[in-house]
Amino acid sequence: MEMLGMYPTFYMPQIGSAWVMGIIGAIHVVASHTSVGASFLFAFLETKAYRENKPELMDFIKRYGMFLLVFSYIIGSITGPGIWYAITVASPRGVGGLIHNFVWVWAAEWVYFTVEVIGVYALVYLIGKIDARTHLKLTWSFALASWATMLLIVGILSFMMWPGSDAWYQTGSTNDAFYNLNFFAHLGVRTGSMFVMATVVGLMVASRMKDLALRRSVVRFLAPIGLVGGLFAVMMFLYYLQTLPSNARVMLHAHLLPVYAQGMIAVFVATTVYLVFAWIKPTWVSSPLAVGLFAFVAVVGVWPEERMRESMRKPYVAGQYIYSNQVIARDVPGKGIAGEVDRIAENGLLKLHPFVPDNLRTITDANRLEAGQLLTRIACANCHSLEPGAPLRSLPDKFHGATDEDLIAAFLRGPLKHGAVPYMPRIDLPEDEIGAIAAYIAAINTGKVKATVSRVASQPVAVADTSKQKE
Amino acid sequence: MDIGLVMNTMRDPAGVPAHPVLFQGLMIFTWVFHIAFVHLTLGAAALAIYAFRKAGQGPYWARLSMAMTKVAKVGVSLLIVLGVAPLLFTQVIYDPQWYVSNVLSARWAIAFIFTLIVAYCLWFAFYWSNHEGAKQHIGWYAWIALALFCLDGLIMHALSYQALLPEQWMGWYAPGGEVDMRGAHLHAIQWPRYLFMMSLSAPAVGLFLIAYAEYFKQREDREPEYRDFVWELGRYVAMCGFTVAQVLWLVWQFVHPADTRLLFYKTGWLLGGLLAVMAFWMLRLSKKIHGYLPLLGGFSVLGVLAAWREMIRIAYLQPYGYTITDYTVHPDWPSLTLFFMTLLGVGGLVGGFYLTLLYRSGRVQGLYAADRTVARLGTGAVAILALWIAVFFAYGIVIWVRNSFLA
Repeated sequence: MEMLGMYPTFYMPQIGSAWVMGIIGAIHVVASHTSVGASFLFAFLETKAYRENKPELMDFIKRYGMFLLVFSYIIGSITGPGIWYAITVASPRGVGGLIHNFVWVWAAEWVYFTVEVIGVYALVYLIGKIDARTHLKLTWSFALASWATMLLIVGILSFMMWPGSDAWYQTGSTNDAFYNLNFFAHLGVRTGSMFVMATVVGLMVASRMKDLALRRSVVRFLAPIGLVGGLFAVMMFLYYLQTLPSNARVMLHAHLLPVYAQGMIAVFVATTVYLVFAWIKPTWVSSPLAVGLFAFVAVVGVWPEERMRESMRKPYVAGQYIYSNQVIARDVPGKGIAGEVDRIAENGLLKLHPFVPDNLRTITDANRLEAGQLLTRIACANCHSLEPGAPLRSLPDKFHGATDEDLIAAFLRGPLKHGAVPYMPRIDLPEDEIGAIAAYIAAINTGKVKATVSRVASQPVAVADTSKQKE
Repeated sequence: MDIGLVMNTMRDPAGVPAHPVLFQGLMIFTWVFHIAFVHLTLGAAALAIYAFRKAGQGPYWARLSMAMTKVAKVGVSLLIVLGVAPLLFTQVIYDPQWYVSNVLSARWAIAFIFTLIVAYCLWFAFYWSNHEGAKQHIGWYAWIALALFCLDGLIMHALSYQALLPEQWMGWYAPGGEVDMRGAHLHAIQWPRYLFMMSLSAPAVGLFLIAYAEYFKQREDREPEYRDFVWELGRYVAMCGFTVAQVLWLVWQFVHPADTRLLFYKTGWLLGGLLAVMAFWMLRLSKKIHGYLPLLGGFSVLGVLAAWREMIRIAYLQPYGYTITDYTVHPDWPSLTLFFMTLLGVGGLVGGFYLTLLYRSGRVQGLYAADRTVARLGTGAVAILALWIAVFFAYGIVIWVRNSFLA
């Protein structure tokens, strides 16, 4: 029996599984980048404290460290594996592909994680309990170890966008996958951003310090680091855009920049103004202002950035060889991987997918809507919600509420079948499966079925009506 | 549908980058440390609550409660980070089973993350409030946190157990032929196994207390009476815990499916035997014995348990024709070298520096001045990290330039 190695599907109404992943991912990015950036701020500050004999600066490090323990090492450390869980249920083949290419890299990152978690407790709780020189070594090693976790994960994340050359497809080597075209640009963006986030959080902590002289000293020290980090991040982001594949550029210009560009510019301007203001008037930095700006950076800066990176990758989830709907898009000779699109075109998803009930393997008039629902969820739901008006690229809305099955089928037989839309997978299906999907989407748009209902078979009226339409 | 064929087809087409047995060994080895901190955290959390409630009934209970609250707080951080490695290696060799199980209970897999965050935050709230003269109502934070930790344990148990029952997957995914993609249910729970695993939290915290009493022998602010109280409590909790665990182990032994013949495996009985030995040892434990030795005994129990757990998985999956050794191998030596060099260099030197520093400074009352060994370890830690980063960039730039600009 011929089959593909596909998994069952998890469907999350309205927001799709992609948003679940995005929400956890954005929280993790804010927490982890703040943590890595803060580790360097600690190292810089502590070096100053050591050289200039200013032990009072260690009070700030302790306060910030306690905040980090809760913010980054609870939320950050849990949402890290949380991303794994989210991508596991949203895109099991995608995460499987990444793990089987990068397991040793991830394992090396785990070594750093472990060291980092032990290190942060040591750093915070040993302030004032061990000699200053040893503590300085501890802080610098903690900073370098923290940054190493970023070095390792960025290679994997940038491979998710694309390898950038043909090398990995031919060799299958982790070297060629990891040090891809946009690795260094991506690393630059994140390294610059981490200083901005850590500085903004640092000012939040500093704003609660009662010793005004100490507050002034700390804010004046931190603000320039945030400003330089921000400028560096912007420059590297512009370079990063030049390292993207063509499908990402199309997506970027057609859909993403029109929505997110203004917000991102606003974040840059607001953060720059805030940090300059903080440098000029360090004692005026107040907690509400600092918290407000941090929330602004997280919601208007990080969330769109993560959404953009996620969206630009489309139609792939990894290395431009796994589509977001779990189908292997192309051959990878270096790993012995064979593309699956043509096999699906020849045999159909219902025949090849292992997790299809026997009663749906063959489409009949009686099960057309149910088969259409299953096919639509398997083939489209990773990127599209199926409810009209839903926030995740609603499929019914993309067809502008069309109720004409032929019109919907024409898109499936044309641009989708031939892979003509750069940010969509090539989905080449047999005629009966195209008909079932078209019937299902048309039925949603006519209101005869509800996409949120898990089992359309329980709605015989809809099936009967569709049969009449067919006649 | 031949589910064995399905599982083998669902394996990642990229294959694995080293011999599967290497991943299996690493998975078993790293799981020991993960589960040790799971048990310690749960045991410490339960004891912290118990001691908090008894705070007015003796001189040491409040102090013990505060100490155990801190232990649980740090324990959660470590159990999470130590759980990453076995999870990673499981996904390499048992990817079909793990992924299907997660997708079929997707909402629970996601809920695991959020409940863990809530539980940890509540535990922190308890930690901040649990000091001399703390009000009783703060105990509720701890109770809810502990309940959520137990729920998270149950979710992890179900995800692991469901992975062993492939013949039921389709029935869960499409009951009566109607596909249900909500991932809304935990489909299978083996209560004896779950309860046995949870029960080991008691001996874990008991053994920890014995080691804790040993560790603080040199500290004058931890007076002998307090250390004796902790030692005796630890011995008693460990003895009772091992006994209860043995009963639950026995129940678990007899619920394995008959066709797996797991009842006749020696390793299962070795585990039961070790539990009995540990319980008896705790009954007769002398204060002359070094306090760290029982902890080593505890680790040996977990080592056998880790191996036993893997043997159970093999026995469940073998009838379907799923064996890890026939996974396609595409060796990747550079990344394998990266891991082992990092483990050795960074894990050994930097991790060694941190642990030595924490251990030695914790035994000193007041300021600890690093001795020559620790000072050298610190310098070595910074140096090895700088070297690692330098090599990372130099090596990477060569590959990056070759592939992106010269090809």
